[in-house]
Amino acid sequence: MPSTVATASFNTLKREEIFRNPPKDKSAWPLLKQAVAPHVGSFNALMDGPDGGLLNLAVKDIGTKTVFDSNEVGRLGNKFNFRIAEVQITKPAVSAKDKTTVNRRVFPSECRERMSSYRSRLILKFAWSVNDGPEQFEYREAGTVPIMLASNRCHLENMSPADMVAHKEESEELGGYFVVNGIEKLIRLLIVQRRNHPMAIIRPSFVGRGASYSHFGVQIRSVRPDQTSQTNVLHYLNDGNVTFRFAWRKNEYLIPVVMILKALIETNDREIFDGIVGTETSNSFLTDRLELLLRTYKSYNLYLKQDTLAYLGDKFRIVFGATPDVSDIDVGKEVLQRIVLVHLKDNKEKFRTLLFMVRKLYALVAGDCCPDNPDAAQHQEILLGGFLYGMIIKEKIDEYLQGFKAQVTSDVNRKMAVNFEDKKYISKVFMKINENIGQKLQYFLSTGNLVSQSGLDLQQVSGYTVVAEKINFHRFISHFRMVHRGSFFAQLKTTTVRKLLPESWGFLCPVHTPDGSPCGLLNHLAHKCIIKTSASDVSHLPTILKQLGVGSPDMLAAGPSKCCVQLDGQIMGWTSHENARRVADVLRYWKVEGGHNIPTDLEIGLVPLSHGGQYPGLFLFSQSARMVRPVKYLPLDKEDFVGPFEQPYMNIAVTPDEITSDIHSHVEFSPTNILSILANMTPFSDFNQSPRNMYQCQMGKQTMGTPGTATVHRSDNKIYRLQSGQSPIVRANLYDEYGLDSFPNGTNAVVAVISYTGYDMDDAMILNKSSHERGFGYGSVYKVEKVDLSQKRRRGDPITCHFGFGQDSWPEQWRETLDADGLPIIGARLQEGDPIAAYFDETLGKTKVMLYKSHETAYVEEVKLLGDDAGENELQNLTVKLRITRSPIIGDKFSSRHGQKGVCSQKWGAVDLPFTETGMQPDIIINPHAFPSRMTIGMFVESLAGKAGALHGMAHDATPWKFTEENTAANYFGEQLKEAGYNYHGNEPMYSGVTGEELRCDIYIGLVYYQRLRHMVNDKFQVRSTGPVNSLTMQPVKGRKRSGGIRVGEMERDAFIGHGTAFLLQDRLLNCSDYTQVNVCTDCGSLLTPQSTVPRIGAQSKIRCRRCATKLVPGGPFEEGQLWEDGQGTKFVGGENTSTIAIPFVLKYLDSELAAMGIKMRFNVEPK
Amino acid sequence: MNRSSEQGPEVTIRRVGREDVDFVVKDMDLALANSFRRVMIGEIPTLAIDLVEIEINTSVLADEFIAHRLGLIPLESTLVDNLLFTRDCDCDQYCDKCSVELMLSARCTTDATMDVYTRDLMVTTVSQYNNYDNNNNNNLGQPICNDQEGKGILICKLRKHQELRLKCVAKKGIAKEHAKWSPTAAMGFEYDPWNKLRHTDYWYEEDANEEWPKSANCDWEEPPRENEPFDYNAKPNQYYFTVESAGSLKQHDIVMRGIDVLQKKLAGIIFELKVLDETSEKSRLDTEFQGTAYGQTPNPEYNWN
Repeated sequence: MPSTVATASFNTLKREEIFRNPPKDKSAWPLLKQAVAPHVGSFNALMDGPDGGLLNLAVKDIGTKTVFDSNEVGRLGNKFNFRIAEVQITKPAVSAKDKTTVNRRVFPSECRERMSSYRSRLILKFAWSVNDGPEQFEYREAGTVPIMLASNRCHLENMSPADMVAHKEESEELGGYFVVNGIEKLIRLLIVQRRNHPMAIIRPSFVGRGASYSHFGVQIRSVRPDQTSQTNVLHYLNDGNVTFRFAWRKNEYLIPVVMILKALIETNDREIFDGIVGTETSNSFLTDRLELLLRTYKSYNLYLKQDTLAYLGDKFRIVFGATPDVSDIDVGKEVLQRIVLVHLKDNKEKFRTLLFMVRKLYALVAGDCCPDNPDAAQHQEILLGGFLYGMIIKEKIDEYLQGFKAQVTSDVNRKMAVNFEDKKYISKVFMKINENIGQKLQYFLSTGNLVSQSGLDLQQVSGYTVVAEKINFHRFISHFRMVHRGSFFAQLKTTTVRKLLPESWGFLCPVHTPDGSPCGLLNHLAHKCIIKTSASDVSHLPTILKQLGVGSPDMLAAGPSKCCVQLDGQIMGWTSHENARRVADVLRYWKVEGGHNIPTDLEIGLVPLSHGGQYPGLFLFSQSARMVRPVKYLPLDKEDFVGPFEQPYMNIAVTPDEITSDIHSHVEFSPTNILSILANMTPFSDFNQSPRNMYQCQMGKQTMGTPGTATVHRSDNKIYRLQSGQSPIVRANLYDEYGLDSFPNGTNAVVAVISYTGYDMDDAMILNKSSHERGFGYGSVYKVEKVDLSQKRRRGDPITCHFGFGQDSWPEQWRETLDADGLPIIGARLQEGDPIAAYFDETLGKTKVMLYKSHETAYVEEVKLLGDDAGENELQNLTVKLRITRSPIIGDKFSSRHGQKGVCSQKWGAVDLPFTETGMQPDIIINPHAFPSRMTIGMFVESLAGKAGALHGMAHDATPWKFTEENTAANYFGEQLKEAGYNYHGNEPMYSGVTGEELRCDIYIGLVYYQRLRHMVNDKFQVRSTGPVNSLTMQPVKGRKRSGGIRVGEMERDAFIGHGTAFLLQDRLLNCSDYTQVNVCTDCGSLLTPQSTVPRIGAQSKIRCRRCATKLVPGGPFEEGQLWEDGQGTKFVGGENTSTIAIPFVLKYLDSELAAMGIKMRFNVEPK
Repeated sequence: MNRSSEQGPEVTIRRVGREDVDFVVKDMDLALANSFRRVMIGEIPTLAIDLVEIEINTSVLADEFIAHRLGLIPLESTLVDNLLFTRDCDCDQYCDKCSVELMLSARCTTDATMDVYTRDLMVTTVSQYNNYDNNNNNNLGQPICNDQEGKGILICKLRKHQELRLKCVAKKGIAKEHAKWSPTAAMGFEYDPWNKLRHTDYWYEEDANEEWPKSANCDWEEPPRENEPFDYNAKPNQYYFTVESAGSLKQHDIVMRGIDVLQKKLAGIIFELKVLDETSEKSRLDTEFQGTAYGQTPNPEYNWN
């Protein structure tokens, strides 16, 4: 056997040991924890980290607000300054109302079972001062905020697997999500523009911004230390001018860029000219435009910094809600501080970076550089859930302060007693404003909708959260690795945003994306891709750069001819392009080597000088939310981390074989690093046609597998469970590293590829009935029914319903499914209409029952009694977990791990199935036609490997790219088969089970791991003969739930007509729909006027047309027999020419509607 | 029926193992050989648990799941012929004449996990057919425990305070209805190991003889001579069977009863044909039609031979 191929192992004993005795120290599968690290890490950063975490940075950024107690003109009154000094979040605990509980910690499992939220108190330290006097503090409760599991605010943090089990969790509980109303929710990762890097953009929509606007722009997404961001855009105007655009509270503002420059520092035109042109004074394109830029600005007549600031402050006074005591200059300063390049603190730095951006814009216009691609991973980073959560909290705190101010102002306006010195007044204001920030976050998590004043610099308002469905573990873990491009892009008609770009190599999985509408927008992170959740320490970098010969940022240099060195969007200095390469190389060597105070994950993006390529420079990135991934650095043979910005300019060999000296600096640790967790689980995916691997990534997530091992402590609406899951014989080594054997997802099945009896045509498959009877693919569905008695009364009303039977008399058969306490018996079999709980209603004095409403037979698995939050009221809630057995039946869906799905079309008994000479019979028969067009060779190889593994009693490694042309998989496994006495190619002669005759050719038979998909006929079949109809049209209703029909639509009608099946057409559209017999008057042709007469005693009712009849004039002539009487006793003569016809009922309805509009329909009925 | 040999089929028993038997049958028609195989897999009556009345189940496994596991347990069925099929019995649901009752009662009282095995299943029906002197080996309905420790199959695991108490009703049935009644495991069947009849076609890359492993049964037949002309009239004549018991019946019982069931089925067909013949003859006589001898069909186009 070739030694290059590693053999996997089942590790049965090790797994059993871990399962029986979960480790007491650390997780057995650390890779899983790494998969959710971006979520947990970003949430932890809210309260942990420098300066007390992001939330405390955020409240510092919000700053102090001011309000005055007078609204008289010319008198300000007393000044009241207030701010939030500190934010705290506690760990989840029982409510303070509950006095009896000793252990006050609340664990997530309780929230899941009780369908409540896992949350804890948000405490704000409110600080205020009156007339700039001493500051006073008060701690305010701002509601309870949902807490991410396994974060530093969760009790599960750092728990060992054994502890996790003790607290009713999975032994490998990963956290990273929230529990909201018992539902597990997570904030999905979102792709946003890379922070603090000016990006050149050509966008046609820019032209529409105003007169003379061009499609050129430079955009920077500038991120504050608290992770909130502000986007600044420079627009190029066709006359050469540049304007600065930003959005504030969803409104857009445009300012001439020179005004910003002049407001930032005390400067002059010369300095601006030098900072943009540098030494290239002969570049007339540039000098012309600069001249114009500076010249047009002259019209504002603003020369000094103070004048400019005052001008800006005057314009933005209202927008920023500045109080009258603040000068225009100070407002202007605030505008610069809050809007312009907020990632930089110093105005001088902002000035330099703005000049750089202007130059980049001119270079873009001149064609000296190309636009940057916003769809490439190079210019992207990830918006992490925790950071977004922090941004929302920040905004809500800001709103809270605004609300405080608004309340005081309205008190002043309404001439109420406002006394800042009085603590009572302050607490009265608190009483009147909405302090419940926690509720808003709960709303955000449960709906995914962002309610925001500012829009948080994001492009969408909804779709931020998803339910972490636990259909099986594959699906669950995928949620945490899922990255969305943004719902804005989902509506775009162009497909450019969906394209797979080479820049995302190693960061986003090329395989794992759904097909259909979210294709290419919903990606998954490669399994080795890490997202930084904290900034690295780069405080030593400026000194190191200086040592390496990077000149001062103040030197006379600009433009692409010199190399600009930037660290996180701050200009560190200038150097030559030759030296920049040296600097980059040395930095990389030093950072990998360690000991030079350079973080390993520093991104060293050296963009070399090119002719019309990307704008050159040396761009260093150290902050959070970046994607990085490990690769091996060849000069030191050590692990290096590379990011998507630098990667396009690096030479990373995929395999050690292809390393060429002088070219490659890095090599991949493994080529499988580019795949997501799920894509790695497809065995021999390198043998398959690529779309098949995508399909498998989808189907792996729809498999009826093992959702978890702690399902008794969960109350999900629906759980699918495969009862007899197996460890796959053929699996990638990563399968073991991720510990996926704890959650088996399928069964090893003997699969024969043969066309047998015709029941395996067109992706159908034949199941061995005897295998099925022995338990193949047996699964169950668990559903939870909630019984809530409090819905019977209004909120606040006293409790009148109690679980259990009352003293009154009630049907004895209720006790068949209910126990003496009125709760269902565990194990009881429930059918539609059976009672699932009995309760006594005091107001009626009667015992009542709640009924089981589903059509499917179910068994009672668990009954849970749920108390209320405070634990002070009588039990009013319970959940009943029901088990629905789902043995595989005809119509259920199965699939191998190669995108080969099929529907079971027939179950043949063992005697009828083909068999080999040793008597082996297939569990599953699939048709050979499933292969040529789909080219899933991987499935053949898996079959071969599975057979070899089963024969030799070992697992086989199916990691892709392990075999080569010289050392083929077919040979490796073929030799093993040969050794076991089987045919080298995996074929065997087989005999027909029906005749016993040897089949005309040998059959490919082997072992393939089969998944049972959750789509089952029992959830889908829809059939009806008669049933409920719509009362208005008398046509059948629609919907499976209401036992409605399936519409025979226009296209179906066309087909019937085309086939000439008139009788069928009539049957479907009339007889089985709204066939009615109505009376029509043959004289006047009306459908509406014939009516039944009131018969005389002994006579029969007749149909008469009221319209054609005439009222009997008293004493008038009439013939006996013609006289009739209506319900009011009025007598009529005539109108006897009626007959009965069959029409669709809607016709009568139409007639009635038309009659209401005064339109008469007349039907000519023949024969008369 | 094939009458190529006057003596009838000839059987050579090659090997008898603990649970399997390997034999060769000569001078038999393929259809008959396959019928024999099918009957052994699917139509020999055995005993298996069919009804489970669960009194207490506090184990982690669901009721129906345990019931399914119980059903698959092989039960001693050598004397099953003494039982009636429930459908033929005149009882309401089940009785001693058509079923055997078993009890399982287990409760874990220790901290260690308790394993419940098939040997814990107790036959409670006092049957007249059981021979209690003979080490309980032939007792009808006794679970088969062929492993070294004699524990049998693991049914369920219980932790402290969990309990499993149930009554099982084992009934007679055949594997056509449910696989649990199958007396056989895999059933080996082969003929013509040299592929002289060319029923099949070995796929090969270069040389079929090189690439295909030789069947062990090749030693029992003459290899084809070189340039031997293909006899297109030849029919398979020699069959290699391997019968492996699943436990409920001894392997020789499976073979013998297989023959028995097959004979009875054929007899049934012959009897029905006779009845059919008699009635058709009667109707023919009624219509003054020329009578035919027994064995000939009323419809000349349809030839039974």
